[in-house]
Amino acid sequence: MSKPVKRLLRKLLPWTPALLAGGIVLVLAIAYSGIFNIAASAGHPAWLEWLLMLGKERSVIVNSKPVDVPELDFAELVPLGAAHFQGGCATCHRMPGQLLNPVYDQMLPPPPDLTIHAPMWTREQLFWMVRNGIQFTGMPSWSGHDRDDEVWAVVAFLEVLPSMKKEDYLKYANGNVNDEINTKNYPASRLASEGRPRINPNACDRCHDTGDSPPTSPYVPRLGGQDNAYLKRTLHEYHSNLRQSGFMEPIAVELDDEHINSLANYYASLTVPAGKTAQRPPSTGFELGRQLVEHGDLSRKIPACLSCHGANKRSDYPRLAGQSEQYIRQQLQVLQRGVRAKTPHGAIMTAIAQRLTEQQAEAAAAFFANQSPAGLKAEEGLRQ
Amino acid sequence: MRPAINSFHKTFCVMALLSITSCDGQQSVFTDLGPVSSQITLLMWIMFIGAALITVFICVLMAVSIAGPAGWRQKLTTEKNIIWGGIVFPVVTLTALLIYGFMVFKAGGTLAQAENPVRISVVGEQWWWRVIYRHGDGRITESANELRIPTGRPIEIELSTADVIHSFWIPAYAGKVDMIPGRTNLLHFIADKPGIVTGQCAEYCGGAHALMSFYTVAMTPSDYDAWLAKERANAKPALDSQGEQVFLSSGCGGCHTVRGTQANGKIGPDLTHAGSRQSLGAGILPNTTEGFAKWISQHKTLKPDNLMPPFDIFSESELQSLSAYLNSLE
Repeated sequence: MSKPVKRLLRKLLPWTPALLAGGIVLVLAIAYSGIFNIAASAGHPAWLEWLLMLGKERSVIVNSKPVDVPELDFAELVPLGAAHFQGGCATCHRMPGQLLNPVYDQMLPPPPDLTIHAPMWTREQLFWMVRNGIQFTGMPSWSGHDRDDEVWAVVAFLEVLPSMKKEDYLKYANGNVNDEINTKNYPASRLASEGRPRINPNACDRCHDTGDSPPTSPYVPRLGGQDNAYLKRTLHEYHSNLRQSGFMEPIAVELDDEHINSLANYYASLTVPAGKTAQRPPSTGFELGRQLVEHGDLSRKIPACLSCHGANKRSDYPRLAGQSEQYIRQQLQVLQRGVRAKTPHGAIMTAIAQRLTEQQAEAAAAFFANQSPAGLKAEEGLRQ
Repeated sequence: MRPAINSFHKTFCVMALLSITSCDGQQSVFTDLGPVSSQITLLMWIMFIGAALITVFICVLMAVSIAGPAGWRQKLTTEKNIIWGGIVFPVVTLTALLIYGFMVFKAGGTLAQAENPVRISVVGEQWWWRVIYRHGDGRITESANELRIPTGRPIEIELSTADVIHSFWIPAYAGKVDMIPGRTNLLHFIADKPGIVTGQCAEYCGGAHALMSFYTVAMTPSDYDAWLAKERANAKPALDSQGEQVFLSSGCGGCHTVRGTQANGKIGPDLTHAGSRQSLGAGILPNTTEGFAKWISQHKTLKPDNLMPPFDIFSESELQSLSAYLNSLE
């Protein structure tokens, strides 16, 4: 540096605190004056748009670096992700083959069409955005606390979304909902009084079993045949944010006691299909499962699963026979992480689940999945 | 400095008082209710009085060496005095004490040769006692958190542990013996007369170590035989089936056994005759319906980290009938 420049800098040095203070005052003055137009209708000037996009993209890329993809059957998760998308995301992000409601299109930034935008991101980055949301954009974070396991269903769906036709999408998003969307046969009078027929975003049938069909994904529990008291308790826990689920809480929060009672009655009364009984050849894993379910593991202080989940037990305990292997394993992992310890019932199972080895959890889940509810009852009866 | 000294004094006084309160009654090394513990008490008194006399003697010697007449002080420094007083005396005294100590140590061992001892196994668990009565016919009866013994007969207790090191100690009857993983230790003693005393885990075994206590009930041989026959029998059918229903349907039987019902869990204490015991929760609560209700609803605060899962799911009436049922298991 030349001497005159150095001399100038040295001269200015004592003024830097004053410059800083002046800068802060200026920013405060601009904010207070209200001259910056935050109207969504005003849009962003190009330079600001560029800056915000740069900041957002870099933030997603950098922050999603530590994300690890778990071993999950992504194909099996798609129906669950699609149904949640329909209930939670489609309002803003539009469903495939349909125009976005202009109200949501007027947001700034406008919610992106994910058939175009989802492929721009990696699996980890999609997870991070769905899990955490994005500031200043209206994108919320996942509403089930510590339920990262659920977020992967949405990621699985977003990955196949761009290749989906409208019919494919509707098939997945509809799930077990029977009402075919058929505007042609929809009389105008009904249209006039009820509006456009659409998938009820909160319908249970979109994921759960009906009298005729099983749940749409093995990651969705079968509700038919559960006890009334158990179903009621679970819905109340979801309703009051005691049990965490980004899928169930947004639905349960809108149910009142009457809804909850009638839903519990409905699912408790569903006849469960005869189902499978131990078709699997007795392998070592299967035997380990049977041992654990029927007798527990004294060395690890694990009681027999059937002491609570067998026949003739409390009606507010869940029945596990015939429940899917993936669902039981996932719930055991959630329990092991302590996510369900807030509810009294969850606290009991948390203590037990944390004593299970990974192998034991897998074996127990596999064993229960291969039992038919009726079969287990018969077995219990024989032993007594 | 003053406050510090004061608080030290206070602490010291409180501790001294505490140690005095433990000197009378149920859990005291001064209460010798059997031949083994009386030998230990005798050894203790010999050591205590001997140590006191030696201390006084040393104090006198020190006073003399500081302020005594010159002639005496001169004598104290001779080599002969140092050899006899400083080497020979301690060696002889300590050797004699050691031999005597070994003899006391063997006192229980000589009982081992006695014929027909009462054989009981006690397993230390975090933080309770599994008690197994071994019958003459090779069968066993499991119980928990209370020891019942007949008077006048040699008792042989087989001590083991399910987890960490515990130590089994009934001060009124015998010295403490450790329960060590992978080992079985034997303890022998005799109770002279009927009575109730307490025992305690005497080796730090985790957070709730201090809450791992138990009652020992010594009974006349005929009372004991009658009690054992009753303990061996299954639980009587519940008068009020509601409490039993809560117990069985809530999964309690996954960890606890009530013989005569479907409950056959082996993880926690056997509850077949839980209502007839002196205490609940290994010596920490009175054995009443209220005690059971308190244990079930608050055991995580009463005995932190204990392995029973929290059961905060019961309605008031369920808790009441469950507690009444457990209390009725006599």
